[in-house]
Amino acid sequence: MTVLETRDLCYTYGAGMPFAHAALRGVSVAFEEGRLTAVIGHTGSGKSTLAQHLNGLLKPESGEILLEGKNIWEDPKKIRDVRFKVGMVFQYPEYQLFEDTVEKDIAFGPRNMGLSEEEIAARVKEAAAAVGLSDTLLQKSPFDLSGGEKRRAAIAGVLAMRPRVLVLDEPTAGLDPVGREQMLRQIEQYRETHDATVLLISHSMEDVARLADRVLVLKDGEVAMYDTAPAVFARADELEAMGLTVPSVARVFAALRQRGVPVPADVYTVKKACAVLCDLFEERGVPTC
Amino acid sequence: MEIIKANAVKFEYAYPDEAPRVVLHGVDLGIEKGSFVALLGHNGSGKSTLAKHFNAILLPTGGTVLVDGMDTADEAHLYDVRRTVGMVLQNPDNQMVSSIVEEDVAFGPENLGVPPQEICRRVEDALRAVDMYAYRDSAPHKLSGGQKQRIAIAGILAMQPEVLVLDEPTAMLDPVGRREVLETVHRLNRERGMTVILITHYMEEAVGADRVVVIDDGSVRMDGTPREIFSQVEELRALQLDVPQPTALAFALRKAGYPLPRDILTEAECADAIAALLQKGVSA
Repeated sequence: MTVLETRDLCYTYGAGMPFAHAALRGVSVAFEEGRLTAVIGHTGSGKSTLAQHLNGLLKPESGEILLEGKNIWEDPKKIRDVRFKVGMVFQYPEYQLFEDTVEKDIAFGPRNMGLSEEEIAARVKEAAAAVGLSDTLLQKSPFDLSGGEKRRAAIAGVLAMRPRVLVLDEPTAGLDPVGREQMLRQIEQYRETHDATVLLISHSMEDVARLADRVLVLKDGEVAMYDTAPAVFARADELEAMGLTVPSVARVFAALRQRGVPVPADVYTVKKACAVLCDLFEERGVPTC
Repeated sequence: MEIIKANAVKFEYAYPDEAPRVVLHGVDLGIEKGSFVALLGHNGSGKSTLAKHFNAILLPTGGTVLVDGMDTADEAHLYDVRRTVGMVLQNPDNQMVSSIVEEDVAFGPENLGVPPQEICRRVEDALRAVDMYAYRDSAPHKLSGGQKQRIAIAGILAMQPEVLVLDEPTAMLDPVGRREVLETVHRLNRERGMTVILITHYMEEAVGADRVVVIDDGSVRMDGTPREIFSQVEELRALQLDVPQPTALAFALRKAGYPLPRDILTEAECADAIAALLQKGVSA
């Protein structure tokens, strides 16, 4: 079932001005409920502009955005409800913390939704646990936390609204490998627990390869590809031409094919690569040590 | 010759009513002039804190840091220390000061009191060095992330430092932007003998360095060539780091019982080793 959809979405920055720049040119794309879609594209391809349309931060110049089948701008006064349903985590969300305790910061969203105090407390607890923030941190000032903790607190503030659709703009930028892994696992877990739909904007092809059901590739404000991860990464040459890459291990496989080794083109995670090669070694009778 | 020398550097953040938080526990580290060193460590390991000691943004609470022989704690040297070691940070947008590329690059030398003619020469040279001379009249905010980061590097080059410290310069960039920045710093190191200290969370960016230093819990835990360091997959993972994917694939295959070399770093090496192993198959 489609939960969120754009139809022929166009947006121009500075429309009518000498420096007008068309950021989105007729984007039509549908996001299925419960799926994790990665959005990739070079700098300036329109990823963030698209994201900001999905919860009504930007108003389309033309075209429409349908949430649960309804145009989100049908009644502009109700746009707040859209923002509760489509949660947005911006790049470097840790710069948006502002309350004097972590608990209050996470509670800000649910409080604006007009929930009861008990419900707010329950949601803060749940959201903090979901991102791995311990109870002792909740009473601290967010400015006393480490960078990684701040990032998690900021994301908890969005999760506490229990959005049906979660949009994250490079949530792992600047995190170390383990932090990246943890963050992605937590996002995955939120999706499973709440049957949520997730859109993940990322420059890390390795992360995209591991997680995404679908990959949306934007180029100059248009949809260049929208397919499963194997289908997208199999088009390595086109991706390279767009200023993108495929995961490193996929390039190892491409190099193997060049050397005449018959390996498939749709392998792009280390795990899968290892399994494929083990089968091949066994088939060819390569001795183990 | 060691252009930077950290001797038992300790650093702690003091709090009014709490115990101080010790971030660096006596770091000893020498950086050879002209070398390319990658500094790795998980978030909170102390690597950025250490880097901030290299141009006296932070001063050690114990031990000393010598830059080209100058003690960074000596205020009389502050100016020269900052001119010797230039720093580029994660977010290029936070490092732009002007609305025109040329003026932005000129900002540093202007502050150093460099004569105008010389500034013009340095700006041109710096912009050519990062391959952005064609954009000298552009507005920085109209450039891509990789281009902006190269402008930030040019702004530092125009001050003619001997050492370039880059703290996660590619964290916000797309793959091509990342490649542009890395190629630029490698070229500066190769062609101009610039000493480069690169802090990164992308293991593949450390592969091209002369030396990899791993910081954990405020101390140097590993120090060696990329090949020596990345062959220690389990040790790195225990320090919350990882290895480049070709190394990880070779490691996984070795665990499955196949004799691949330990010290694979690049995609080509990995493919070569796998192809060579297949030759040993009975049905090959």
